Amino acid sequence: MNQKAHPVGSPDPQEEELDAEIRSIRAQISTLAHRKRILTTSLLSSPKIKTLLQNQSPTTTTTKTQTLTTLKEDLSPLVTAAGAHTATNHHRIAFGATAFPFKDPAPNSPDPNLLGIRIDVCARNGRFAKPYYVLLRQERGRSGQQHRQQQQKGNGNGKRLCVHRHTIPAFISVDKLAGAYLPLSSSSLSRHEEDGSGSSESESESESGPMKPGQARSSKRKQDLRGFVRELRRELVAWHLRSDAVVFLREKLGLIRDSGSEADANEDEEEQPWGEKRSTPRNDLGIIGLEATAVEARYVRMEWEDGRLGRFKLSNAGLVERAVFMNDRGRDKQIEDAVTGGGGRVESLFERLKGLSAMESSP
Amino acid sequence: MARSRTVRAPTTASLPNSLRIPSTTPSLSKTLGKLSRPALLDLAISWLEDRNVESFPPYLQPSDTNNHDNEETLPYPAAETLAEVREAYINLRDRKGGKQEIIERILEGDWRHGFTLRQLAMADLRYMDDRPASLRWTAMELVRLNDDATSKSKSARDTIAIASEDWSASIPRIQAASFVKSLHAEIAPLVKAHYHLSRSSTLPLTFLRIFIIDSPYQTPRHQPEIFTDATRIIYIAFPDSCPYFYTSSITTSNASDSSSGSGSLATDPRTLQRLVREAIPKALSRPHQRFTLKPTALAAKNLQTLLTLRGPGRSTSSNGAFSIFADAALEGSPLDPRPSNTVLAEEHMRGPRPANKKRSSGSGTAAMTDGALSPDSKKRRLAVESRFGTVGCSMTPAPLDRLDIRLLDPPGVEEDADADADADRNAANLAPAVSLTFTGSDVIGGIRKLAELGVVDPELMPSWMTGEDAVSTAFVRGGKRLRVERG
Repeated sequence: MNQKAHPVGSPDPQEEELDAEIRSIRAQISTLAHRKRILTTSLLSSPKIKTLLQNQSPTTTTTKTQTLTTLKEDLSPLVTAAGAHTATNHHRIAFGATAFPFKDPAPNSPDPNLLGIRIDVCARNGRFAKPYYVLLRQERGRSGQQHRQQQQKGNGNGKRLCVHRHTIPAFISVDKLAGAYLPLSSSSLSRHEEDGSGSSESESESESGPMKPGQARSSKRKQDLRGFVRELRRELVAWHLRSDAVVFLREKLGLIRDSGSEADANEDEEEQPWGEKRSTPRNDLGIIGLEATAVEARYVRMEWEDGRLGRFKLSNAGLVERAVFMNDRGRDKQIEDAVTGGGGRVESLFERLKGLSAMESSP
Repeated sequence: MARSRTVRAPTTASLPNSLRIPSTTPSLSKTLGKLSRPALLDLAISWLEDRNVESFPPYLQPSDTNNHDNEETLPYPAAETLAEVREAYINLRDRKGGKQEIIERILEGDWRHGFTLRQLAMADLRYMDDRPASLRWTAMELVRLNDDATSKSKSARDTIAIASEDWSASIPRIQAASFVKSLHAEIAPLVKAHYHLSRSSTLPLTFLRIFIIDSPYQTPRHQPEIFTDATRIIYIAFPDSCPYFYTSSITTSNASDSSSGSGSLATDPRTLQRLVREAIPKALSRPHQRFTLKPTALAAKNLQTLLTLRGPGRSTSSNGAFSIFADAALEGSPLDPRPSNTVLAEEHMRGPRPANKKRSSGSGTAAMTDGALSPDSKKRRLAVESRFGTVGCSMTPAPLDRLDIRLLDPPGVEEDADADADADRNAANLAPAVSLTFTGSDVIGGIRKLAELGVVDPELMPSWMTGEDAVSTAFVRGGKRLRVERG
C-alpha cells in the first residue's frame, strides 16, 4: 500500500532527462528510416531511373560503365518489383476495384483458387481506408458424382461464382447483393430457399430433375460480376461519404478539436459534477450535439442547447431525405422544412438553419 | 408489516425502478462486494447525480429533530442535505481504504431504507463493464421473415428495378424506450420483469438487463434474495449496426434447480428466460418487417470475441486464413510506394493513421529472430502464418474459450482428423460420431501454438482448427463444416 503512494526510488532528474533524450532520438531515427525507405522505393519506381537504367547500353567498355552494369544487375529485381507495385497502385487508385488471385490454404477445399476483389475507397482527408475484400469461389456440386456427370454433359455455361469470404461491414448485405447479381443455378437456388440458410456448401449444381418455368427463367439469368462489384463499391463509397459528412458537420460546429480528438462534451463537468449535463455550445446556432446514431451513419441525431432534439436521414447522394425535429411543443415543422428544403444538401445544413433563425429574429 | 395492508392487485405493469429491496439482504452486499472500490465509488456518485437522485434518494435526516436520539447510535448518522452525502463520497474517493466501508456506508448508511432495483441493475452492469468475460454469451442472428418472398418477386423484375434497390442489410432499428415497451407488451402477460437499458462504456454495445419474476403483483412477496438470483436475470447486448444480438446463456446452477423443483414448470427461471428470448424478435418486428431468430453456433465468454466474430466490423465473415484480409495485413494504402511484401504486416494493420512507434518495437524483434531459425521451422512458420493469418496476433483478439466439434466422418477416412479421432476407434463398426471439445482461455490461439511447435501439421489440418468458420459448435464432415439448421 505504501509503495503505491511513494515510489520506491525517486528517479534521478538527470537520468530522466537522458532517458527522454534517448527516447526522442530513437523516435527520430525511426521516422528518418521510414522516410529513407519511402524515398528509396519511390526513387526506384520513378520513370526517370527506369529509363536511365534501360538506356545504359552494355557495349561501352569503360570501367565506369562496368560498375554501372553490375549495379543494374543488382537493381533489376528491385526495379521490377517496384514497377509492379506501382502499376498495382495506379490501378487501385484509378479504378477503385481491382481483382487478384488468392489460393485458399485449406487442404480440403474443393476449389482452392479464389478470385479476390479489392475495393479501395478514398476518404475525405485524402487517405485511403483499409481496402475491402471480397473473395469469390467457383461454385461446384459437393457430391462428386453429380459434378462428374455435369462435366461429362459438358454444359459450359460458364463458371458460377459465389461469395466465399468478405470484409464488408455487416450493414451492407452482401447476401442480398449476391442474390441479385450472382444468382446460382436454379436447383441450387431452390435448395437455398428450402433450408433457408445462406449456406452454399450444401448446394449442388445438378441440372437434372423437373424444373418449373419460373426456375428455368431464373437459371437463365447470367451472373453479373461487374454489376455486383459496382453496386458494392457504390454502397461502400456512399457509407464513407455519409460518415465524412457527419465529421464535416461536427467540424463546422466546433465539436471536434484541431487535434482530431473528440471534444469532451462536458468540459465543465468537474466544476459542477451534480448539475445537468449541458455544455456551452461552441457555435452560434446553439447546437451542442450532432452525431450519427450508428456506424452506418444513415441517421444523424442533433441536439440543441435549449432542449430541442432532432434526427434526420441521410441518403446515399448526400441529401437529407427525412427529418423529425422536436421542441417543447411538439414537432418543429419550421426546422424540418429548413433541413429538408433548399436542395437538401447536408453540407449546407447550417446555412439553412442560420437563415431560419435570421428570419425568426427579423420580424 | 405495512405492505400487507395495502391492496395487492395483479397487474401487467413492469416492476418499478423504485422497488426497494431491504438493505439487510445478505446477497446485496455480496453483489456489491464483487465490484472494486473505485467502481463502487463511481456508482455511488452517479446515483447522487441530479438526474438519478430523484429515483433513489439517499436517506436524509428528517427535518423534525425530535426522534433522532437512536440515530446517533448508528455507525452512519444520516446526513441532513444531499450535498453532505455527496461530499462524503467525494471524500472517500480522495482517500484510500477498503471497499467494505463503502458497501457498509451504502447499505447501512445512505440507502438503509432500501436498495432500489435500478441501483442493483446499475451495479450489475458496472460489474459487466469491468469484467467483460464474466458471463457466457450466445450470438443470435436476426433474419427478416419475408425476405425470401420479396427477393423472389424482385428477381422476376427487370435489372433496372434491382439497380434502384437498397442494399443495406435489414438491421432492426432499435429505439430503446419503444423496444422495451413492445418487449414488455410481449412478455407482460407471462412474466413480470424489470428492465434496465444502458450503454456499455467500453464496447460498442447496448445492454438490456431483464430481471424476471413469476408474480403478477407489483410488490412481490418473494424472499428478497430472489432479486439477486442470477438465474432470473437475462442480459441482452445489442451491437451497433449489425443484424446480431447476444444473450447471456442460461446459468442454472444445481442449487437453484432444486429450489425451483418444487414450483411448477411455468415458474422455472429457464422457462421464463426462454419466453423472454422468444419475445425479442417479435418486439423488434414492425408491420411488413418481421424478424425471426437464427442460431449462429457461436457462444463465447468474451464479449470482444462476439463483437469480432459476429459484429459490425470487417472480421465477421473472414477469419482464420482470411483474417489477413480483415486486418488488411496484406497491403497498405495505394499511396504507399513501398512494395507490400517488404512492409511488416503490423504496420499495415495499424491502418491509415500515423504510425504509433511504440508498437513496432515488439514485432521487429520477432522478425529478427526469424533468421536464426532452421529452414524446416521457417517453412513451418510460413505455413502456420498462411493457415492462421493474423489470428493470435491480431489487433482485435477473439479468444474462444470453448470449441465443440462433432466429426461425422465414417471411420477409416480419418486423414484430416488424425490424432484426435483415435480415441473412439474401438467402436469402428458402429459408425461412431466423434466429439471433440477444446476448452481454454484461447482455443484457436492454442492450436496455433501447437502448429508452431510442430505438434499439428499446419498444412494438413482442416480449416475448423484455424477458426476460419468462426463458430464454437460445428458438425464436420471431410474437414468441412456442415451447416445444420436447428429450430
